Amino acid sequence: MNATRQIYWNIQGHIAIYPLFLVAIVIFAYGFYLKYRLWHVGQPVDRNDRKGARAKSLIGFVLGHTRILRRRQPGIMHFLIFWGMVCLFLGTIVVALQSDVGLQIMHGPFYLYFMSLILNIAGLAVLLGLLIALYRRYIKPAEGLDNQPDDAVILILLLVIILTGFLTQGLRIAATHDPWAAWSPVGNLFARLFAGLGAATQSEVHRALWWSHLFLALGLIAYLPYSKLIHIGTAPLNIYFRSLEPNGALTRLDLEDEDLETFGAAKLTDLTWKDLMDTDACVRCGRCQNNCPAYLTGKPLSPKALIQDLKLQVHQQGKLILAARKTAAHPTTGEHETAAGSELDAGLDEQNLVGTVLSEDALWSCTTCRACMEQCPVFVEHVPKTIEMRRNQVLMESDFPAELNGAFKGMENNGNPWGLGWAKRAEWADDLGVKVVATDGAPEYLYWVGCAGSFDNRNRKVSAAMVQIMRAAGIDFAILGTEEKCCGDSARRLGNEYLYQSLAEANIETLNGYGIKKIITQCPHCFNTLKNEYPQFGGNFEVIHHSAFIAQLIAAGRLPLQAKLNGTITYHDSCYLGRYNAIYQPPRQVIEALGLKLIEMPRSQRESFCCGAGGGRMWLEENLGERINMQRTEEALSTNASCIGTACPFCLTMLEDGTKRKDVAENIKTLDLAELVQQAIQSAQ
Amino acid sequence: MRIVVCMKQTFDTEAKIALTADGLIDSTGVTLVVDPYSEFAVEKGIQFKEKFGGEVVIVCIGDTQAETAIRQCMAMGADRAVIVTDPAMDGSDQSATARVLAKAVISQEPDIILGGFKSVDSGSAQVMLRLAEILNLPHVNVVTNIEIGEGKAIATRELDDGVELVEVSLPAIFTAQQGLAEPRYPSVKGIMQAKKKELKRLTLADLDIDPTSVGPANAKVKIHGLTLPAPRKGGRIIGGEIPEATADLVKALRDEAKVI
Repeated sequence: MNATRQIYWNIQGHIAIYPLFLVAIVIFAYGFYLKYRLWHVGQPVDRNDRKGARAKSLIGFVLGHTRILRRRQPGIMHFLIFWGMVCLFLGTIVVALQSDVGLQIMHGPFYLYFMSLILNIAGLAVLLGLLIALYRRYIKPAEGLDNQPDDAVILILLLVIILTGFLTQGLRIAATHDPWAAWSPVGNLFARLFAGLGAATQSEVHRALWWSHLFLALGLIAYLPYSKLIHIGTAPLNIYFRSLEPNGALTRLDLEDEDLETFGAAKLTDLTWKDLMDTDACVRCGRCQNNCPAYLTGKPLSPKALIQDLKLQVHQQGKLILAARKTAAHPTTGEHETAAGSELDAGLDEQNLVGTVLSEDALWSCTTCRACMEQCPVFVEHVPKTIEMRRNQVLMESDFPAELNGAFKGMENNGNPWGLGWAKRAEWADDLGVKVVATDGAPEYLYWVGCAGSFDNRNRKVSAAMVQIMRAAGIDFAILGTEEKCCGDSARRLGNEYLYQSLAEANIETLNGYGIKKIITQCPHCFNTLKNEYPQFGGNFEVIHHSAFIAQLIAAGRLPLQAKLNGTITYHDSCYLGRYNAIYQPPRQVIEALGLKLIEMPRSQRESFCCGAGGGRMWLEENLGERINMQRTEEALSTNASCIGTACPFCLTMLEDGTKRKDVAENIKTLDLAELVQQAIQSAQ
Repeated sequence: MRIVVCMKQTFDTEAKIALTADGLIDSTGVTLVVDPYSEFAVEKGIQFKEKFGGEVVIVCIGDTQAETAIRQCMAMGADRAVIVTDPAMDGSDQSATARVLAKAVISQEPDIILGGFKSVDSGSAQVMLRLAEILNLPHVNVVTNIEIGEGKAIATRELDDGVELVEVSLPAIFTAQQGLAEPRYPSVKGIMQAKKKELKRLTLADLDIDPTSVGPANAKVKIHGLTLPAPRKGGRIIGGEIPEATADLVKALRDEAKVI
């Protein structure tokens, strides 16, 4: 006997599905089109290059759920609902193909394995996923979630659709005494509920449920673009159109362009269409917020709120802008549009983003640590938007926290944010006899010391350690000395693109003038901007962070480390080394080679918690909420390790300050990796 | 209201000062900035303009390098500038500077004249007051606040043991002390606009000043020599128990530092 079932058993007029489906699709398409138009009030940006790489992102991040699954409970929840619904959708298509296209496919093993067993499992998976979702929302509210009516509507709608599906199947099985019932175990279970009913009742209830199921499913399709379920479309789009530039490269502003009326983003229309589409890909899962150091220390910044508040602006202001453009395009049309136009002139006093989407305090609270973007399953770009708003505040309004005045002027006049005399930049090396490029010629490796390594007393020790290490390994290196200027990282992330570009251009001119090819940095901020951003201005160098360089030297046996250090250490991943440049393992390899026992903090590697100094926050007072560096220091102390290892001058400063405040600096040393290696070299000699 | 601000370009306060072989200050490679006291005056001038309308005119004596400082003031919001550039001015003292400045300033018919009460380099604190004498205008020195009224102004000036409120009729000269105004950071918009603002370049001849009446030969103050201050020695921590440490400290203060 050929396994199959009668399609549309007990149903007359199933063909009505198609016109109804068409209605649903039209409502769906209209809703999506409205959103599409709103996104395109934004600026153009090309996000359709490298199509192969983009398609690959879709496979991994959409089909594979690689980011979603990083959080187990919601990850599994989504996986079950997603793949369950995909299977059920395919099943529906198979039914249509068999019944109305005439393809004879719903037979035999395919019917039994896929159309019965797998679809039953799929339905069960969705059900399970929905239960997890309901639990996370309403039974034991998960961190970062906020409940809106839409969330409940969607969950209940899906739940009812799946249940009516199983009930319909159960009734059919019961009424037709389906010989293949065992292949649909869940439907079969429901069938038992109805075994006692009379045939007429079974048929009547079945019909009612079948049509309900249909209307609900079509209703869901129509409802999609008007709810957060739009992410079924926007999430893959957002992933496809994600930035493929290096994580650490901010966009270059053309400051010479005299046509530009404004720099950075003051208003909605200054952002790109992709920035605006981000807001419709966001499903308010809260992962960004749960990992945001500013939010977690009680500052008025939440990356989730930023995107949601922006979404509100897109929907409110965006509509007015569209209407205004329409009026402008047809200035002499009828009354109706004139009315729309005048309404808009009042409203089109387009609101500033700062103050509506983000308060000034929130704007300056961001450390640009990238935890939000690293976590976001749909690749929403929070940090670039924040920087664009900062750019506008600084370049156009000159409106920023007063304490930055000194840092900016220091960078301008003396090439360092402390504003210390530039002529003293190489004083740290006075007694070390380090070669200087200007007098000793270009070396194989330029040692880029950075402002902290040059001027900050604590970090000068790290510079001295680096000199000792490179000498022990026989590296040919030299420094630029007083010709080195601040790399500009802080200036750029604080929105001062003008200052950044003048620093970057001066440095690149110096470096290119000497024909420098390879650069070693000890500061991840210098590392990131030299490596990822200087190419925008004609600076193409092989830039190596000291942690990776030391790891290479050790692996190549070029450092005499006979004596092992003893003790335990916890290692703090710097944002600009880790999340921005994916350098997680080299520092750990160095620690292992030194014989230290590494105890990881609860939040490490890509989930590492910022020290609080990134994004130019090093130069700002931290007056709001708890101090970020204290929270991180406490986390480091919770490992009971006897040393805190860092590979960034800012992190070193922040965490050592933390141990001092906790009065444990005597016992728990905060050291840069280079200092640890220096100890091992010294004890070896 | 026309506000004239006298602005001086100086060494950056963090600049490393060195002397040339013939004992003069070596300016090679030194970063030059708007003198911080001039900057307070410029900011106050711009604030007046924003409040009362009118224009801010920068008046400066210097060479082409000083034009960078002028553009900086324009980026902050000053409207135009007059610069007196003349080789004869090299080595002039404060009296000559004030005489030249007086001609340049008065040609602008100012309602208010502002400037730093001193500069961070030579720090003589004389030029603005000499200017007031030459122009025969009332002045208030070392001010931290200025309130403008109808044809008059009340300025707050710092004294050693308090403040003094001085009322003067306008036009008048005010010299800025720290606290008068917090200089703004120029926006890029401002920097771009500054490039197109009017900068009038004058020589001594343009001001009807005889070049032989200025310069080192006519200086009323002669500098005989310059020496660098002795490098600062690091502090010393006196250890030990408090009674002994106290005795050591007193001894050090009396015998070594000779301050008690």
